[in-house]
Amino acid sequence: MGYLNNSTITVDAILTKKGRELLARGKDEFQITQFALADDEIDYDLWNPAHPLGSDYYGIIIENMPLVEATADESNSMRYKLLTLPKRTSRIPVISVAQSSITLTSPGQNFVITPTTTNFTNGNATLGYTAILSDSDAAQLQVVAPVAAGVSPTVPRFIGDAEAAQTISATGFSFNIIAKQQLVSDVSATITIIGNETGGRATVNLTVKKTQLATAIGTSIVNTL
Amino acid sequence: MATSRFNPRSTQVVPSRMVTTDPTTMSRPNVTPGTTGPIGPVVQGPVVRGSGPIFMADEPLTLAGGRPAVLPGVSVAQLQDEIQTRAQAIARDIVAQQSLQTTIAASGRIFTRFDVGTDVINNQKTLVTTGLFSGNAATLSVMYTGSLQTSASKQYYYEVYNGNSATSEAQFSVAFGHRLGSGSSAGGTLNDSPSRAVYSQYKLLLLNPGDTSFTFASGESSNEIYAINFNRARIKDKLDPGNWQLSLCELTGSKYANNVFTGSNVVPSGSNRVISLIDDSGQSQQTNLTSAGRVYNVVSGSIGGGVFNASAPRYYGLVYPDMGIVILNGNALDASMSFNTVTGSNIAGDNAWKLYTSISGAMSINSSANAFQARNEEAITSTHYFVRVKNGEYNFSNNPSFVTGSVGEFVQPTFITDPKTYITTIGMYNDRQELLAVAKLSQPVQKSFSNEALIKVKLDF
Repeated sequence: MGYLNNSTITVDAILTKKGRELLARGKDEFQITQFALADDEIDYDLWNPAHPLGSDYYGIIIENMPLVEATADESNSMRYKLLTLPKRTSRIPVISVAQSSITLTSPGQNFVITPTTTNFTNGNATLGYTAILSDSDAAQLQVVAPVAAGVSPTVPRFIGDAEAAQTISATGFSFNIIAKQQLVSDVSATITIIGNETGGRATVNLTVKKTQLATAIGTSIVNTL
Repeated sequence: MATSRFNPRSTQVVPSRMVTTDPTTMSRPNVTPGTTGPIGPVVQGPVVRGSGPIFMADEPLTLAGGRPAVLPGVSVAQLQDEIQTRAQAIARDIVAQQSLQTTIAASGRIFTRFDVGTDVINNQKTLVTTGLFSGNAATLSVMYTGSLQTSASKQYYYEVYNGNSATSEAQFSVAFGHRLGSGSSAGGTLNDSPSRAVYSQYKLLLLNPGDTSFTFASGESSNEIYAINFNRARIKDKLDPGNWQLSLCELTGSKYANNVFTGSNVVPSGSNRVISLIDDSGQSQQTNLTSAGRVYNVVSGSIGGGVFNASAPRYYGLVYPDMGIVILNGNALDASMSFNTVTGSNIAGDNAWKLYTSISGAMSINSSANAFQARNEEAITSTHYFVRVKNGEYNFSNNPSFVTGSVGEFVQPTFITDPKTYITTIGMYNDRQELLAVAKLSQPVQKSFSNEALIKVKLDF
């Protein structure tokens, strides 16, 4: 008589930097209310439906793979989240934007980004999208079409501490990017769009050109700003 | 509008702000005569789930004893209407939340809320003991002093390390204290004596207010003490009483006059005479609690054999496990181990070095049998989260290798009818979707529509 396989797996969790920060503020600030799952490290190309030993072994190379330890840096964890979708799903919802890059040439110039979700009817139609601008010195980020009042969407924080001070995020269905004045040089940043229901992300590269100042003799630079 | 919480795993609706009553005094919500307002005062407090009085809109409201609850200017019918209106508002709110959850679930979901009642177990306390020394080693068989320690601080204590390399770590300190300041140089002023400062320091740390000297189980009050003070990083919460053993070897004190038994004269006697010390926590009928926590007597004996001559033990000092400090009676060590503690006034006796020499000398005689053995103790508070993944959940992935091309097609055609994913990481989030804790599995766990997973995540604080 063999032993039954214990189906409960017990794992130890570690606090992220954000978790330590909130715990230090007090127990009330540290409230875990939900979970998500991720398959970081998994390469589904390793799934082998032609394995000579049969279907039980299609994923054996993945299942036998040892995993690396958790990291306390929340920016490097939970990169690829698992997703709950109906069984009939034949394609993964894809977040897309019309432009892969935006160049703004003068202060105040704007561009509206309207993400869409393909492959899934009404995907992200309730909670919308989260836009994260990596450098708030480059541009302003405004919501053009907000989500419905009372809806609490996902606002992921996956930017590390060094970038956090410069990073801004907003939630909605459409976003307006407004260039800020750049006196020193061109500024590049990225806009990451994340689906609040389906996960997945799209990235747009943003370039804001250096402001061309008037150089006429006798004209104060200050007055041209 | 009143807010409410909805437990999706239960049919019970729990408004977070609810009219509750004290069942011992009232049979209906506490509507107090003479109170103004549309209804009686709302009692704020913990939400009662499945217990306590439930009032129905079509029943008359009464106080204790069956007396009708009537507010000035408000009829019972009006009160019932108000209650019904509020109940309907709460119900509408719950239905709206349900609808939203259903909509979100149908259009994709990456987060699942914990059911606080069944999925989370808070404040599970576990007492963990490990070896006290670096690397959780339970024994220290060789030790060194630190070359970087200043000569000024050596007048007060010696820091003891587990090795002589740059990566060695401090394990504990040894110090000598004299109540009157004898045995150390005071630069001509007795009040400035390091030994007096050390004695006063431990007196204030360990003795009850008003006590002026250490009194040992033998009834002796001693003016001279030797202290072993474990590093905080080593003892964690506390020293594990009953699980430490310290060996001392005899010194050459009997061969020298008291005032010259210092420096290079302090060496093991060569007799190889060694005593081992433990505490008597295993023998104590009751724990002696002081302002410094528990205190036990230090007696001769061994961890394996217990107290030597338990009916009439030889007392050598006191141990304060909660503070991680061992106090040894200088007089007892003088008598049995020839410490010949220098007690002259304003003489740099370097007595702390004698304790170091005695401990290391015992290790030199037999590094295995005479090793310093100790364990620490730590209370760990854990919260357990049960991550329940049902068969229909988390069977798709945003992993870039899960798809091919730019339109989201599965990389494996078989995934169209039977998708497989692998769980490697569990993220624990708050309501703001901030990642507070993360757990990794040792190996990937396959997930599909034909299996479920139950993972217990343990978070220690």
